[in-house]
Amino acid sequence: MKNKNSIYLFTIPALIVMVVFFLYPIFLSIQMSFTDFKGVGVANDVGFKNYERIFSRDRYFDALGVSFSFSFIVVTVQNLLGLFFAAVLYRLPAIRNFSRAALFTPSMMSFVVVGYVWQFIYSPFNGGLNAILSTLGLEMLQRPWLNDPSTALFAITAAHIWMFTGYSCAIFLAGFANISKDIQEAGRLDGASSWQRFRFLELPLLAPSITINIVLATIGTLKTFELPFIMTGGGPAGATRTLSLEIMNNLFGQYKFGFASSLSIVMSVVIVTVVFFMNRFLRARENNV
Amino acid sequence: MRKSSLVSLAVSLAFGANLAMADTVTLDVTAWKGNKAEPAAMPELLEKFHSENPDIKVEFSYISRGDTDVVIPPRLQGGSNPPDVMMVDMPLVKTWGEAGMLADLGTDSPWFSQITPQVRDSLAPTGEVFVQPLEIVGLGNFVNLDLLAKAGVEQPPKTIDQLIDACKKLDAAGISPMLFSSELSGSMIIAANGIYGSEVMPWDLGSGEASFSDDEGFKKSFAMTQALIDAKCFEPKLQAGLDPWGTSLTEFSSGNVAMLPQGAWNIGSFDKQENLNYVFTALPGGAETGIALDTFGMGWAISSSTKHKEAAQRFLAFFADQENLGEFLKADSGYNPYVGGPSGLPELAQGYDEARSAGNIVMWPVFMNHWPATMNQGLNDGVAMFLLNSSDGPEEVLEYWDEAVEDSM
Repeated sequence: MKNKNSIYLFTIPALIVMVVFFLYPIFLSIQMSFTDFKGVGVANDVGFKNYERIFSRDRYFDALGVSFSFSFIVVTVQNLLGLFFAAVLYRLPAIRNFSRAALFTPSMMSFVVVGYVWQFIYSPFNGGLNAILSTLGLEMLQRPWLNDPSTALFAITAAHIWMFTGYSCAIFLAGFANISKDIQEAGRLDGASSWQRFRFLELPLLAPSITINIVLATIGTLKTFELPFIMTGGGPAGATRTLSLEIMNNLFGQYKFGFASSLSIVMSVVIVTVVFFMNRFLRARENNV
Repeated sequence: MRKSSLVSLAVSLAFGANLAMADTVTLDVTAWKGNKAEPAAMPELLEKFHSENPDIKVEFSYISRGDTDVVIPPRLQGGSNPPDVMMVDMPLVKTWGEAGMLADLGTDSPWFSQITPQVRDSLAPTGEVFVQPLEIVGLGNFVNLDLLAKAGVEQPPKTIDQLIDACKKLDAAGISPMLFSSELSGSMIIAANGIYGSEVMPWDLGSGEASFSDDEGFKKSFAMTQALIDAKCFEPKLQAGLDPWGTSLTEFSSGNVAMLPQGAWNIGSFDKQENLNYVFTALPGGAETGIALDTFGMGWAISSSTKHKEAAQRFLAFFADQENLGEFLKADSGYNPYVGGPSGLPELAQGYDEARSAGNIVMWPVFMNHWPATMNQGLNDGVAMFLLNSSDGPEEVLEYWDEAVEDSM
């Protein structure tokens, strides 16, 4: 009995940290979302006005759409590429450690640096990408990548994928390391080809790594704002304006702290809902393997 | 005896020093000018202030404009540790002033009546003055004279017809005529011409009392922009997402483009560019001289809860002195906010000066609080929308701006 009480006692410091640094700020944001607070001065109660404004304006739905599109493209491509590199490196132990470090390096770089470098690559005036296309005789593919609404979002997702493919790859490689050598050996003895071993042995056993990668990438990308902010500022004409960028603009461009809080509450609800169902589906899938 | 005298002397000196310390007021001043990148003569001016005011010690903190939004509000809100004097711009004056965080400097201040009328009208909309202006920033047209000469254009264009003519000649000579990024450059020309041609005051548009959709000035301004597109002044789709803070400046300073509408603050960096023969003129538009698009750069505000109000007022008075202000403006390439005061702009800005002298001035409405902050983003988005689908006309953009104004209410 005494031991049981001690266990609860030991959780108190962690609970205090959680309440002070996680629950209290969330409570404060909810409270602020019903006010017209401007960062200083008195916060006047405005009821549901902020939420009414969000749901009666297309621009916030558009921003949510941009966030979902960004997330879908990045999560899909980044994980497929990460899985591809992990599967290849798993079969090439001689270069595995070096390649893993090399692939992982971009994810340690600052978003600001990456954003400016890629902005230069995409520049419509002598940018690297257009120059390469010209050298290859593919002038018809040249375009102002970040200035065209039909390509701007894809251009930013490419930079994001470049940054974090190594991160996904590292998680998949950890998953590969957990696959028993006996299973691989059994596959070989049964005459399974490399592709068959990947498809029918490794891929199902990588289910936990797939869950982690997809959930982490989804959370990270649904709330992204750094690269769109640096590379396009949300433009052209809102084509790359994510919901987080909208929050940022309301906070520091317009000093609408109350309204920005209501936007962040909406974003949190969306992310929690998406991740909850995604996690449930992926866990169920893991159990069925 | 000798020993006791020495002790007495030491005690007296220490006591005296303490008394002197007690009489010295430490003034906490924050600003986004005065670092290595933008010194604005601040070190020299602070040294001069200290020599003239030995009883005041200025503790100067450089805080970038972006960080000012984050760092200062908690200090103001707490009330116990606010800076005594802060550098502010008009959006900050509105937010902090309305929240009661800034002291009323009074319309009876000796410098207030000397402010140029265009600025003065915007400073005290409710009768209270929260800022002492330091600098007016000119937004105009940078023109590469060598490229113009190559195309056979003799003078920098002042009117739209001259601009169209110059564009045609430059385009025929294989020279990129101008950049028109939706953010800043394009917004500047469209807003300046829209306001100049409008029959209502800009604050009526910003308050919703008048509508952009019905405004003939803005309709004409978009028609003028379409004429520029037709004259191949720029490729509209290329400008919609062009970065005005990086790519545009690099292109102009590298001599790849003939004209760039931008802010006068770039004069310092363009001057360092070798072989860049350029001038800074007013924005081509409806007026014969072109339109000088002025905006409030920055000023000083005093915290309403400062404990050193008298010292803070002396600090402000120092910067209201034309000799001191002139030094600041010269180092920062800024215009003087006071009637008849010395300008900090060099000779190459003569074209812009002419438009100002002729009274063809439009105040940049967002930074003067004539338009709400929501219009800052709205303006850029609207211009980008037009550049992407200019053949659709400006109706959708004008409605979008009316909605942006409504969003601020």
